[in-house]
Parts: sequence; C-alpha cells; structure tokens
Amino acid sequence: MHMTITRSLMTLSAAVALAIGMPATAQADDPLAVSVLVPITGFLALEGTAQRNGAVMALDNPPEGVRVTYDVADTATSPEVAVTALRRALDRQKPVAIAAPIFGTQMLAMAPIADRADVPLITVSGTAKLTELGHDIVFRFFPTDAVVKVAQARYAVQDLGMKRPAILFQTTAYGQSGRTELVRVLGDLGVAPVLEEAIDPGIKDFVPALERAAAAGADGLLLQLHSGPTALAVRQAHERGFEGPIVAGSALHQPTTAALVEPAALAGVCAESASSPVSDSGAEMAAFAEAYRQRFEAEPDAFALAQYDGMNMVLAALAAGARTAEAVKIWLAGNRFQGLAMEYVSDGTGNMAHDAIILCYDGLTRTPVVRKRYDNVDGVR
Amino acid sequence: MIEATVQLLATALALGSAYALTALGFVLIINAVGAVNFAHGDLVMAGGFVAVALSLLLPEGLPVPGLILLPAVLLTMAVGGAALAAVAYAPLRRSPPVSVFISTIAVGLILQHAISLGAGPQPRVGPSLVGDGLVDLLGAALSYQQLATIAVAAVLCLAVHTLLNRTRFGRQLRAAAQDPEMARACGIDLRITIGATFALAGALAGGAGLLLSNQYFVTPTDGAMFMLKAYVATVIGGWGRIWGAAVAALCIAVFEVLVAAAVSYLVAEMLLYLGVLALLMLRPQGLFGEAEGRRA
Amino acid sequence: MRLAVHRRGLAYVMLFLTAGAVLLGAGDAYAMRVATLVGTYAIAAIGFQLVFGRLGLLALSQGALFAIGAYALALSSVHWGWPPVLGLVLSVVVPALAGALVAVPIARLESHYVALATLGLAQLVLLAVTNLEVTGGANGLYGIPPLTVFGFDLSDSWRMLAVVWVAVAMALCVFAWATGAGRAGRLATLRDAPHAALALGLDPISNRLLAFTVAGALAGLAGGFQALGLGVVSPAVARFDVMITLLAIAVVGGRGSVWGAVTAAAILVPLPEVFRGLEQAYLLAYGVMLLAAVVALPTGIDGLVRRVLPDAPAPTPTPAAPKSRKISVLRVERVAKRFGGVQALDGAGFDARAGEVTGIIGANGSGKTTLLNIVTGLETADAGVVRLDAIPLLNHSPRARAGLGLARGFQHPEIPGGIDVLATVSVAATLGAGMAALERVGLAGRARVPATSLGPAERRRLDIARALAAGPTILLLDEPASGLGAGERADLAVLLCALAKSGMAVVVVEHGMDFLLPIADRLVCLDAGRVLAAGPTDAVCRDPAVIAAYLGTESAS
Repeated sequence: MHMTITRSLMTLSAAVALAIGMPATAQADDPLAVSVLVPITGFLALEGTAQRNGAVMALDNPPEGVRVTYDVADTATSPEVAVTALRRALDRQKPVAIAAPIFGTQMLAMAPIADRADVPLITVSGTAKLTELGHDIVFRFFPTDAVVKVAQARYAVQDLGMKRPAILFQTTAYGQSGRTELVRVLGDLGVAPVLEEAIDPGIKDFVPALERAAAAGADGLLLQLHSGPTALAVRQAHERGFEGPIVAGSALHQPTTAALVEPAALAGVCAESASSPVSDSGAEMAAFAEAYRQRFEAEPDAFALAQYDGMNMVLAALAAGARTAEAVKIWLAGNRFQGLAMEYVSDGTGNMAHDAIILCYDGLTRTPVVRKRYDNVDGVR
Repeated sequence: MIEATVQLLATALALGSAYALTALGFVLIINAVGAVNFAHGDLVMAGGFVAVALSLLLPEGLPVPGLILLPAVLLTMAVGGAALAAVAYAPLRRSPPVSVFISTIAVGLILQHAISLGAGPQPRVGPSLVGDGLVDLLGAALSYQQLATIAVAAVLCLAVHTLLNRTRFGRQLRAAAQDPEMARACGIDLRITIGATFALAGALAGGAGLLLSNQYFVTPTDGAMFMLKAYVATVIGGWGRIWGAAVAALCIAVFEVLVAAAVSYLVAEMLLYLGVLALLMLRPQGLFGEAEGRRA
Repeated sequence: MRLAVHRRGLAYVMLFLTAGAVLLGAGDAYAMRVATLVGTYAIAAIGFQLVFGRLGLLALSQGALFAIGAYALALSSVHWGWPPVLGLVLSVVVPALAGALVAVPIARLESHYVALATLGLAQLVLLAVTNLEVTGGANGLYGIPPLTVFGFDLSDSWRMLAVVWVAVAMALCVFAWATGAGRAGRLATLRDAPHAALALGLDPISNRLLAFTVAGALAGLAGGFQALGLGVVSPAVARFDVMITLLAIAVVGGRGSVWGAVTAAAILVPLPEVFRGLEQAYLLAYGVMLLAAVVALPTGIDGLVRRVLPDAPAPTPTPAAPKSRKISVLRVERVAKRFGGVQALDGAGFDARAGEVTGIIGANGSGKTTLLNIVTGLETADAGVVRLDAIPLLNHSPRARAGLGLARGFQHPEIPGGIDVLATVSVAATLGAGMAALERVGLAGRARVPATSLGPAERRRLDIARALAAGPTILLLDEPASGLGAGERADLAVLLCALAKSGMAVVVVEHGMDFLLPIADRLVCLDAGRVLAAGPTDAVCRDPAVIAAYLGTESAS
C-alpha cells in the first residue's frame, strides 16, 4: 500500500520536474537552434513525416562553418498541440527558425505567436488564408493553392479540354481551400464545375460520387483529396469505367499514394505538384533521392524536397552571417535561393515558390513523368 | 439506371459485409462482459496491417493470396483479442463498465501509434482475396474482389453461427453471456469463456480488416470510423442482439451509399446520426428489439 | 463529513498551491501555458464529473459542449466584434442551454443508449462546424483578440494562468453548490438505486436537467478559455480527442470526485509533454500510462487519497421524527396487469388499514411484487382502482404518491455508492428524520459509515429506514425477512408491529410464514394474479383453499 503511494508520488514529482524543467540558456558561441514542429502523428502524419525527413536531411548537412542543433516535436492534429509545441520551442530552444506544419489550421494559430517572438516559420502549407493574416514571419516553400491550383485547372481545361469537370474535395482545410481556388481559376477560364462534392477523410467508397459525377455529365475529375482517398478515387474510377481524364492534387505525386494503385489504373491520370524527386533524373536530385531512401527507407516526395530546400535556405542565411531569428527572417525575405526543386524568392508576403508542374502516369510504371511546367505562375520572380 | 443501382448495391454490400463482421465481434464482447470495447475499430485496423505484413512474406504471383492468409490473420488476431482481454478487461472485471471503456481506448491508442511507428503513417494495400477481374451483371461491372469479400464475410458469419449454436463450446459461451452466475454454478469457467469471446471478436475484426485492406486500404488512423459504425449498428440492431447488429451494419452501409449517391455524403452522414437519435427517442429497444435482460 | 472533506480538500489545495508557487517561481511561458491547459481541461472535467460521476450517465457530448463554447466565443469576437469578456459570457450561456437541450431528449434513456445518443449529437456538431460557412469550415475561425478587461491585457502567460485557475476555483464552488443541500445523496441514489429513487419520489428529470446545464456551462467556459488561449478555433475542438481526455481525467481522478479530476488533469494533460522527447512514440507512451493508471488505480486518484486520508467520523444530528399525515385505509381493487402473454394480475386487490400489518402471501409468480409496483407507481396497471382514503392514486406519479405518504422497501435493496448511511436514508427527508429512522431500525451507530460497507442484513434495514425517513403513512415491504437470521427476524417483527401501532399501514409481502403469521393482522392470499382468500389472519389460515394451494404445501415441505 505504502509502496504504491510512494511510487505514485515519485512518478508525479518526476513528471512535474520534467514538465517544468529549466529553460536552456544560449551562450554566444553555442550552435544555433532550429525547431522542427510538424504533424508526425494523426491524419497528416504522412505529409508531416515527409516534412520532418526533408528538414532533418538539410539540418544534418549544414554548410561549412555553420553549427546547428535541432529538436523534432509533433504537432499532431490540433492547433492546441501545435501552439503548445511552439511555446515550448520558443521558451526552451530559442530557435532562429522553425520548420512549421503543413496543416493550415495549425499555422493560423502559430503565426501570431511566432510573429510576436519574431521567429520565422518555414512551411509547405498551401492554405490561402495564411497570407491574409499578413505576418512577415511565414515563409512557404511549397507553391500555394494560388499557384498549383492554377496549374491543375489550366492543364485540365486547356490541355485536356475539360468543359464540365467534377470536383471531389476533402472536408479538411486542404480540401476546402483548394476547392475554393479551383473554382475561382476555372471561373477565370470560363468553366463551371458540374459537381462539387465534399468528402470526409473517413469515406472509403467513391462509387456514389462517381455515379453522381457521371449523372451530372462530368467530362473529367479534379481531385483535391489526401493520399489514401486520392488512391481510392483513382482506383474506383478505373474499375467503374469512368470515362474522362483525372487531374489530382499533389497527394497523388507522393510515391506512397501511387504505390496503392495498380499502374494500369493510373494510365492517363495526372497530378499537380511542385516537384517530383522520383521522376527527376538530374544528378543532384538523384543524389538527394538516394540519400533520402538510404536514411528513411522511404521514397522522397515534393513536400520533403520543399522542406529540405526551405531549411537549406535558412542554413544559407546562417552561413551568410545571420545569428538571430530576426536576421534569418530578413535574409529570407530579401534574397533569392536556388534550391533543388526550383528557385525561391519571396513575393513580399513570404510565398517563396512560384513554379508548378503537371505529372502524368503512363499506365506501365508508378513513376510519373513531368508533362508540363508552369513556371512563375504568379509573375513574382 | 439499373446498372448504377446494381453497382452501388454491390459496393455497399461489400463494404457492409465487412462492417457486419466488425459489428458481430463488437456485440459478442458486449454480450459477454456488458462493456463496450472501444479498441474494436483498432483491432480491425490491426487486422488489416497483419494482412499487409503477412502478404510481404508470401512469394509474388500467387493466385489467391488473401484467401491463403485468411486463417493466419484470423489466428493472429484471435491471439490479439485474447491479449486484449488479459490486459484491458481481466484486471477490471470488478470495476464499473466505464473503466473498460477507458482501458480499451488506451489499448486503441497503443495499437494505432505502435503500428504507425512500425509500419509508417502511409496507407497500405492488403493482399487481394482472388485475382483481379470484373463480372458483368445487368450492365454493372462488379469486381471479383467485391464478390469475394461478400462471400468470405458470409462464410465467416455462418461459421460463427455454427460455433455458437451447434457446438457445446458455443453453447457454453452463450450461457455464460446470458447468465454468468448460473453458468459459473454449472461449472463453466468464465475466464475461459470470456477470453474465448474476446479471441473470437478479435478474429472477426481481423477478418474484416483483411477484407477491407485490399479494396479500401488501411491507415493507422482508420480505427475510430470502424468503431463508430459498429456502435451505431449495435444500437440499431437492438442492444445485445448478435445478428441484429450484423444486419444493421449491412443496412447502414447500403443506406449511406444510396443516400450519398442520391444527395451527398454529407447528408448521408447527417441523416445517419439524426436517424440514430430519432430511433433512440422513438424505439429505444432498436429495430429488432433488445435482447432480454441485457439492459444494464 | 464536512470536516473530513475539508481535510482531504485541504491536502489538495496545499498540493496545488505548492505546484502553483513552484510554477510561478521557476516556470517559463511554456510551463505556464501547460498549466493553463490543465486548468482549462479541469474546468470541463469538473462539469463532466457531475453528469458522469454523480449521475452515472456516460454523456459523450461534453466534448461537443466544449466546442460549442469555443465557437460561441470565436463567432462573437471575430464575426460580431464583441469584446472577449462578453464572448466568455456567451460561451457559458450557449453550452448551458445546449446541455439542457441534450438532457431533455436523453432523459428517458439508459446506460449505453445515453452514450450513443450523445456521441451522435457530438458527431453532428463536428459535421456542422466542419462544413458550415459561418464557422469557417475546416480552417475554423482565427484572429480572436486577446482577453482584456478595462483595457488591461490578461492574455499574458501568468495572468491567463491566474484567470483560468480562478475559474477552476469557481467551478469547484459551482460543483459544491450543485451537489450541496443533500443533492449529493439524491444524485447517488438516482445513479445507483433508480427504483428506490423513483419510489422515494426523487425526480430524475429535474436532476438531469440541472446536472447537464451546469456541465454544459462549465464545458463551454473551458472551451471559451481554450479559444482565447489559442486565438483560433477549429473543428479539432469538436473531435473525439477532447472527449477522450475528459473521460480519462474523470476515470483516473476517481468517479465523481472533482479534486481527483483536477489532480488527474494536472497529470494527464502534461503527460504527452513529458514524453515529447520520444517523437512519434509519445502517444504510445501516453496510451501505456493511461492503461496502467486505469488498471492500477481502479478507484482513481481520489480513491487512493481517500485510503490515506479516510473520512473522519462526522457528528450525527439529533433525531427528529417527521410529522406524518393521518389516513385510515389504502384500498386496492380489481387490478389487472398483463406482461406479453402472461396475465400477472387478474382483478387482484386488498385493503390495508392504518394501525394494522397486512400480509400478502402467494406462490412465486402469483403477482405479489407486481401488485406492490402498481400501488407505488413503478408499473402501470391495465385496469383497477387504488385509493388512499378518497384519493384515487393510479393517475398520480410515483413522486406524488410518495408525497401522499406511500413508501416502499425492496426485495433486493439498491445501495448507492459514495455516500454514508445517514445520507442514504435522508435523500427524501431531513437529516434529523433520517437519524430518527436509523434509530428505529437499529442502525444509528452506523450512521456515518459508507452505505456500501453494510452487510446484507444491514442493507435490508437501511432500505426500510430509507422508506421510513419521510414519515410515510403506508409502508409496503417486499420480503423484508428473507436472508435474515433468527434474531434479526425477531427485531424486524418488533419494529413492524411498533410501526403499525404508531398508526401506519404496514403491507408485507412475505414467504416466511413463521415470520408473518405472528405479526399480520390480516392476510391476503394471491394465486395466479387473483385473490384466493382475504381477511383476518386466523380466518385465512383456516381457509381450505389456502391450505390446499399454499399453506399446506408450505407446512409439508
């Protein structure tokens, strides 16, 4: 009995001591700290893990003369956890930059706090709303919906000749934001979608949506879905014999998504993305892809690469002499950086990436080829 | 029109038959110990991952990998179910049922995150039951997979029915569930019957996981959705009614697919929950009536 | 009881004040943020303990009410430009009303149905906030201004911490109010002894309504603080995760204990933070710890503390016998009741006169208990008349019948957990009356022990005392002597005779003839739902039909 109490009390006091801890104090010649706060559990774990891998790859290989330490923490699926993780990082690690979640809702909560601390957030989140807040510490290394959705819609309408597309979008921040953008761009192109269907991430069965698309006379599908649902939609459209092209969102370009579907079902299916590390045959990219496979036993995707490029730009800022978070922020806002995927430069609101590509599958392999490039879509660079 | 309906119904039945297996296992545990097993959805998910893992051990190019693996998945998950009983039920059998609620939620968390850690967060595709191919029925293209899913689920249900009604052991299980005191007095070891029930529920969840994993993939976060469907089915089918729950699960899938095709997914989901609430208000004993004396 | 609670409460208060001092002294903004979160969840969990712990309803809507509170604050401040202080008021009022609305439809439901109904409601809330335009869809609402009062910014880390923990203290007071004035006993009785509660005239609906409203208000307040602390509200607050956290806090804290809940919140909410270094594995570790806590602490943290700091015996009040009305006769005539294919009662009836013990005998299944249930209102009759003097009873609710002086003892007494013997008997009476009732049944010495610690014979006496406490004019007992030893039966016989002598009408359903015959003034013998014989005890005992059908076999056996 008493043993139990003593043990419980010891556990409790240990927990309290750990939770309170002592804030780390940074010395002048200490290595600089970077925090990696991304969703590595929950429904965005796939994208978040790619982010973490890309960031870690960059931070483990800093340029000559730059010493960084980093900590990885999960932001899970809620703004609450993200904000707590951010507070912890700001107080305990005093980072000069933070790799921040792809999850737009978490970014909306984190941005004001990071702004007050004046620490730059390096993210691949594409949510349009983020720009509206006007925080100068958000830097996005994946093209926003305003770029990639333009590529997706233009390719569907101008190259594939869709006139009556159906949009299937997820009931998440990613899906809803992309859908709004798609409808806007389609409107500019003089096309109105015949169906816009909201799909919960838990839905396994796309036949009803496909039936409704067919009934509405859709001549093509535009997908704005996460990884698993994208694969389900593509496969069931193939089995169901849906006639008409499919242009998916960037989830399809992730090798883990394509791995779920037989190559035959992918024939003629295209997707937008910022890059495709597995498709690119350049020497540097091939080296990156190989190193990534070695290290993480997984195929690299555009999110990993964008986060890798972003952290490399931070490291470039440090190499250029930035020692504080504010200096890093100013350097990121004022310089160009040639990354592996593309050249990055801020549009004045922290949007660094301006190129998009369209990838298509030939039906024989699961590795897509770059069909079309949409460079400098927003005319910034 | 007919072909679309046939197509939709086939899809709904394939999905629904896997849900029925899930609900079956769920309600067996409710009957045996009067507690809700909140890890049940995660058991289904785990079954899917066991199938994926085992399929990696098989040589490439086998004609029916899913069918070959089915016994192994059932067995593994039966052991998993028994382990669940040992860890999350046995120590709490004298506590209020809600303690089991929490302990199984904890086991669900453990399963979800252990699998995510071991296998990665990405969706996986399980072994196919039979070869790929399509059958033409009234103009609708039905895949071999869908038909095999329905067939396997039906066979498993029949097996459970036979076990419970035709074997001495099954009768012991049912007796222990209906009146534990009387069963104990008759010399039935409740620890064994309860462990066996959890094992059976685990096996059924594993079967459902295998069936779903090929057509619908499997992700570590899938558990909650399966759990919710089973819970709703159990109430609609009448609390504690084994076959009521299975039939209700099938009906839910058909309802959802048809409403989603006619209106939208959103409306389908909303109507399902509104329907459940209305049912609880108007007919709390479920559509098929409540099993006698099961109300806690 | 009061002192004992204070002793434990004092220990908890000391613990939290110490933790708070350490935090303010050494903690950084992050530690304070975690402590603020602890307070936020503690507030919602305190409300949940009322519904779940005290009323025993597994209401899975508490997380959704939390979300409604968060959205109420966000909508009012972002869309309508209200100051956050007014928003906080809204985030209390709206979920309180929503909680009351939840209570109404589920008021008739039991156990698992409550869980699923509330889960369904929670899913609908999640669907709505994810897909509605006005709630900002999946992105949610952002740009919630910081909490300011008269231009004074309270959003700073330690100030917000102080505000939230003052609110925790207020929530504890609200809980104390909601369970005060004897309500703790009534809630425990409604939870663990629903039939006895009904017979005693306790009102489940109004108690549920109160508990849900308070729980909703507290959940909403917590949600409001959550929104203020984050500056954004998204559908994540409506997901089941919040509910799981609250449920875990309630169970690990100890069912129904608010202090346990606050302590559990202080352990469970920072726990993921402690394991943060494990990267992906931290939620795995959290799951393992949660499982270990539930298995190792079956009565929760408060149960553990209770064993270390047990209740010191509280003073017992002076007995004060209740005033009771005077009646002359309860007349039950031609009552019929059918269950499915079985005619349980077929025109049965009896008269019970004040000052007499009326015995009802009959074989198993002859309808004795059903007859008592119909008289007290636990079951409805298909036909028949029940009159208390001139007052027809069958149209009255059980509550009204209890008010008219009907009281009921049960064959299997239901004993509520978590309250002492005196509180158990006093649920429908004053403490003084309860004490007087305990004295009558000889349990006065056990007044301050937990009711669940009583043995079977004592439980039976407790059940009778509970019925006596309100000063009934009619006492109906269902096999009160079964399972008692010879001495206890003699005591009970003396008690029943004394009660009758004091002017009460005592009705006893009983198998044991050796117990009943000496004390019964009149007997009614039922057979297959009909009256076989009725009249003075001697006359009925000599009735050939009764001897053939019942007494004969009894004496032969």
